[in-house]
Amino acid sequence: MDIRGALADAPVTGPGRRRHGFTDLARAVRSNRKASAGVILLALFSIMALVPQWLTPYDPQSTSFRPSLAPSLRHLLGTTAYGQDVWSQLVWSARESLLIAVGVGLLATAVSVIVGVAAAYLGGLPDHVLSLVTDVFLVIPTFPLIVVLATYAKSGSLTVLIAVLVVTGWSYGARQLRSQALSVRNREFLEAARVRGERSLYVIVVEILPTMTSLIVANFLGAALYAVLAAAGLQFIGLGNASDLSWGTMLYWAENNSALQVGSPLWEIMPGACVALLGTAFALLNYAFDEISNPALRPAGRRRAARATDS
Amino acid sequence: MKRLRWIAPLLGVMLLVSACSSGGSGPSPGPTTGTSGVGGTVTISNESGGLWTCGFNPFNPSVSFLAVGVVYEPLIYNDILTGTNTPWLATGYQWGAGNRTLTFTIRSGVTWSDGTPLTAADVVYTFNLLKRYPALDLNAVWSVLASVTQQGSNKVVMTFSHPAVPFFYYIADQVPIVPQHIWSKLASPVTYKDSQPVGTGPYTVQQCTPENIAYVRNPHYWQPGLPKIAKVEYPAFTSNPPANTLLATGGAQWGGQFIPNIKAFFVAKDPAHRHYWFAPTENVDLYINQTVYPLNVRAVRQALAYGINRPRVSQIAEYGYEPPGNQTGVVLPTFRSWYDSQLASQYNYTYDPAKAIQLLRSAGFTRGSSGVFQTPSGKPLSFTIVNEGGNSDWVAALQMVKTELAAVGISIQVDNLSAGAYDTALYDGHYQLGYGFGYGGPTPYYELRAALFSGDSAPIGHPAASNFERWRSAQTDSLISQYASTTSVSVQHQIVDQLEKIMLQDVPLIPVTEAVDWYQYNTRSITGWPTPSNPYAQAAPYNFPDWEVVLLHLKPR
Amino acid sequence: MRYLIRRIEFFMITLWAALTLNFLLPRLMPGNPALAMMARYRGRVNPQAMHALEVAFGVGTNQSLLEQYLHYLVNTAQGRFGTSLTFFPEPVGSVIMQALPWTLGLVGTTTVMAFVLGTVVGMVSAWRRGGTLDSVLPPIFIMTSAFPYFFTGLLCILIFSVALGWFPLGFSYTLGQPVTLTWAFIGSVLDHAVLPAATILITSIGGWILTMRNNMITTLAEDYVRMARAKGLSPLRIMLHYAGRNALLPNLTGFAMSLGFVISGAILVEYVFSYPGVGFMLLQAVENEDYALMQTLFLLITVAVLVAVVVADLATALLDPRTRARG
Repeated sequence: MDIRGALADAPVTGPGRRRHGFTDLARAVRSNRKASAGVILLALFSIMALVPQWLTPYDPQSTSFRPSLAPSLRHLLGTTAYGQDVWSQLVWSARESLLIAVGVGLLATAVSVIVGVAAAYLGGLPDHVLSLVTDVFLVIPTFPLIVVLATYAKSGSLTVLIAVLVVTGWSYGARQLRSQALSVRNREFLEAARVRGERSLYVIVVEILPTMTSLIVANFLGAALYAVLAAAGLQFIGLGNASDLSWGTMLYWAENNSALQVGSPLWEIMPGACVALLGTAFALLNYAFDEISNPALRPAGRRRAARATDS
Repeated sequence: MKRLRWIAPLLGVMLLVSACSSGGSGPSPGPTTGTSGVGGTVTISNESGGLWTCGFNPFNPSVSFLAVGVVYEPLIYNDILTGTNTPWLATGYQWGAGNRTLTFTIRSGVTWSDGTPLTAADVVYTFNLLKRYPALDLNAVWSVLASVTQQGSNKVVMTFSHPAVPFFYYIADQVPIVPQHIWSKLASPVTYKDSQPVGTGPYTVQQCTPENIAYVRNPHYWQPGLPKIAKVEYPAFTSNPPANTLLATGGAQWGGQFIPNIKAFFVAKDPAHRHYWFAPTENVDLYINQTVYPLNVRAVRQALAYGINRPRVSQIAEYGYEPPGNQTGVVLPTFRSWYDSQLASQYNYTYDPAKAIQLLRSAGFTRGSSGVFQTPSGKPLSFTIVNEGGNSDWVAALQMVKTELAAVGISIQVDNLSAGAYDTALYDGHYQLGYGFGYGGPTPYYELRAALFSGDSAPIGHPAASNFERWRSAQTDSLISQYASTTSVSVQHQIVDQLEKIMLQDVPLIPVTEAVDWYQYNTRSITGWPTPSNPYAQAAPYNFPDWEVVLLHLKPR
Repeated sequence: MRYLIRRIEFFMITLWAALTLNFLLPRLMPGNPALAMMARYRGRVNPQAMHALEVAFGVGTNQSLLEQYLHYLVNTAQGRFGTSLTFFPEPVGSVIMQALPWTLGLVGTTTVMAFVLGTVVGMVSAWRRGGTLDSVLPPIFIMTSAFPYFFTGLLCILIFSVALGWFPLGFSYTLGQPVTLTWAFIGSVLDHAVLPAATILITSIGGWILTMRNNMITTLAEDYVRMARAKGLSPLRIMLHYAGRNALLPNLTGFAMSLGFVISGAILVEYVFSYPGVGFMLLQAVENEDYALMQTLFLLITVAVLVAVVVADLATALLDPRTRARG
């Protein structure tokens, strides 16, 4: 979970350079190797999540096979101690894991944007209060809090899990977005808008937010990464709904049946690897966005090349 | 996979009240004398969920399994598996006054480990301590006792406020006797830690750290020549895998563990010496809330019972370790003699989806387009099972139950709750179906009483002690009360037969699998273990006071 | 001065928020300790015993919520955290003292190690821009940082315990070994610490490397660094004193802030390795619904992070006048 802190604290560079449209972003992603790798990984997982039935021969919950089989052509990754097909479980689990990542990513980013930008734009006491709240949420250790929350509210519902992760996951973004918004607050084009007599909401939505597109996207990626790791951790220790199909839940079942020690390591390793890869996808994209918005960070070789094409 | 909750030891279901016998004379194990053949160390591998507190207060439910038995002993020891009953600190007992009084004769020649002799006054003191501090009275013996007094030099007389023969088990086997000369000086026995326990048992605590307890042989133990094992090591295990590994590597001789794939993981590494035995003692039930329509329709409950494939649930969700339950509620094979096989085969609750469907049809339910049955008013037969989500084997079992019941047109959702939410739902009756332990005892009567006695129930919204399904039947209640006032085994059997009939006919709840004692042993250096052919005690190390009896039978090779 | 006041305000409010959260959570959620206790007595407990137990455990009082809140604040301020349900009658404080040294030893040491090592590697990597180190490290550490702590731990167990048998599966030392200050015991402790420590190190070091590298690159572009170069100062001196120091400063607060994350990860590492530390204890408390223990542990972790943040803040302010000026 560290990378999020690391990336969040990366220096925020001048706003001018951050002003990208989505088409610019798409082009930048294509030309950045890290970003491309992230996009490809994400696309693979999306396919698993969208059409798992095309990739798997069996019902993932069916317990009709012989338990603890070794990998074979019929069972690519073997079977679980309950006689379920590990490959089918793995593929079908992508859906919930991805849903949590995207859901938490979007909601947490929305909260960060609202709090961060409102604080910067309103200034004065509201800013003071909002910043304080943000800092409080930032410092309270999230995982213990999630554990405690999830214990009390273990109705096993996905909504609860997502809500808990949003509540604990928005503050980094809000802090970054606030400082970003602060730096654009007094720029000429905003002054002009104010002089024209535009309403605050208009100024924020039409004038300020577009300048922060890439930071907002980076925040979404960071929050999604956080959600992937935290949700997997929670489910792994049994605080998710054990009847659901997700990688964290698979890990929970495998660990409970000592899969590593009794000779079905794939049952435990594969979902873990998927969590790690999904996390990597978000982390790669996140890092790439930093490079895109801050050219100084680009790998040295390609930096020169990029400069050449820019000019 | 579920390990028993931390209180697991408390579940120890112990002795059979063969109450008409009034006790023999001497203790059965070990006629040998002297200290020949003493030696060896037994290491116990039993995940307890936390590190040791090094407290040994036998009335503190979180540590009593470490003290009751080897340190503090009961009056009578009863082995539930054989139904035999062994005099322990009492040499005998006698019912009197129409089963309203119970007189124990206290053994002479027993000393506390500090050298002070045990007297009848210690026994009287112990029981009155429980009266004075209800928080210590874990088995609620004072809910039936009126007084406990000394008679002569070595007799203790207990009078009952009402007939309660089954309470013999709690009084004689479950109350550890403590020394008056130490406990009477305590300011607060409830919060007393008791880190240097002084008892009458075969072992004393040599050294305790949060990670390990070392017990050593009490040289002044009252049973001559016993114990043979010089030392007992009890490491604290906070989770299952390291405890299993210690057994697998041969570092521990005595296990109380759930081990996945036990044959490959444990036995195969030394098949000549490594064995396990999972003796069932109570049921894991599907509770059916009798206040909810249409679950209060008998045909629906019967359909549920026919629609669940118990052997398959046992085989897959429980690795076959926990045998399938049967609808009489009598745990087999442990209580075979109580099982009315004729009655059971007459109702024949084997897995029969066709019968389930037919039952629902003839009760007036119709199958809707989605395949789910509907009540005559068009409400689908759809129920939610509340489950304790922490017990992963139960989650797996209910997943199977859900699929099986869907096949007979009953739609099931499983709610895997936190322990708190689960307890609240179950105790207050705010649920439709629930999954949980039966509360067993030394005979099937105990579990049936807990499940069916209306006195143990409560209105919806109030916490019930047991009988969570809110079964209310005057006939059942009167059977249960009759049993409580008789010491005649044949009458007891007749009553249990009739309770079994209620279980079969009315299906107040459904025993799905049985719960077992987890027990592994290694005969490489230690012999004398309890086995299915010599079941002299409940064999899991967390069963108290049984673990004392096991240790007294063990010998170094 | 204004800066100091703001930090104190922040400290107090966060502390209050954590305390209040701690108070409210169990009261908002289903179930209560009395009920949990009843479940444990499995239908045998009679009303009097029940009531007596409630009194002994200090639950089921008829106080108003506000009264309870005030009581709670006063008790907490006096260091009375209640009695652990699992370890009854042990007070929560002494229960935690059993676990604390293990966590401080394992998590504390490895966190500092990861920070120092990561910072140095990041600094060097940025200094040698485009060198082997700089082109190889970032992609690798982006990956390892995205690994869940517990997964790294499981991999370590699979490879080094199950397959190779080099290190023990878990726990903090060999059971049955006398707990004395002998070399054998210390060796056993270290042997058991290797895998969990490696797990925390591998997973958390990437963040420090990347942060430091990025900060350093930005700093290297600053005028004063160019000036130093122009003056012909030794490269090592520039790297350490000019660029390094200034790139590190913002990292200090980041370090403190991220302690929360590291502890979070460490909880799972302790869980995977059954390491008897604070994180493991928290999960045990959760499993047993030991409210008093759970809350105190949560509070302890929060306060630890909070103190670290404030200390880091003050250190930054001392070392970097700009912070004070910004207020």
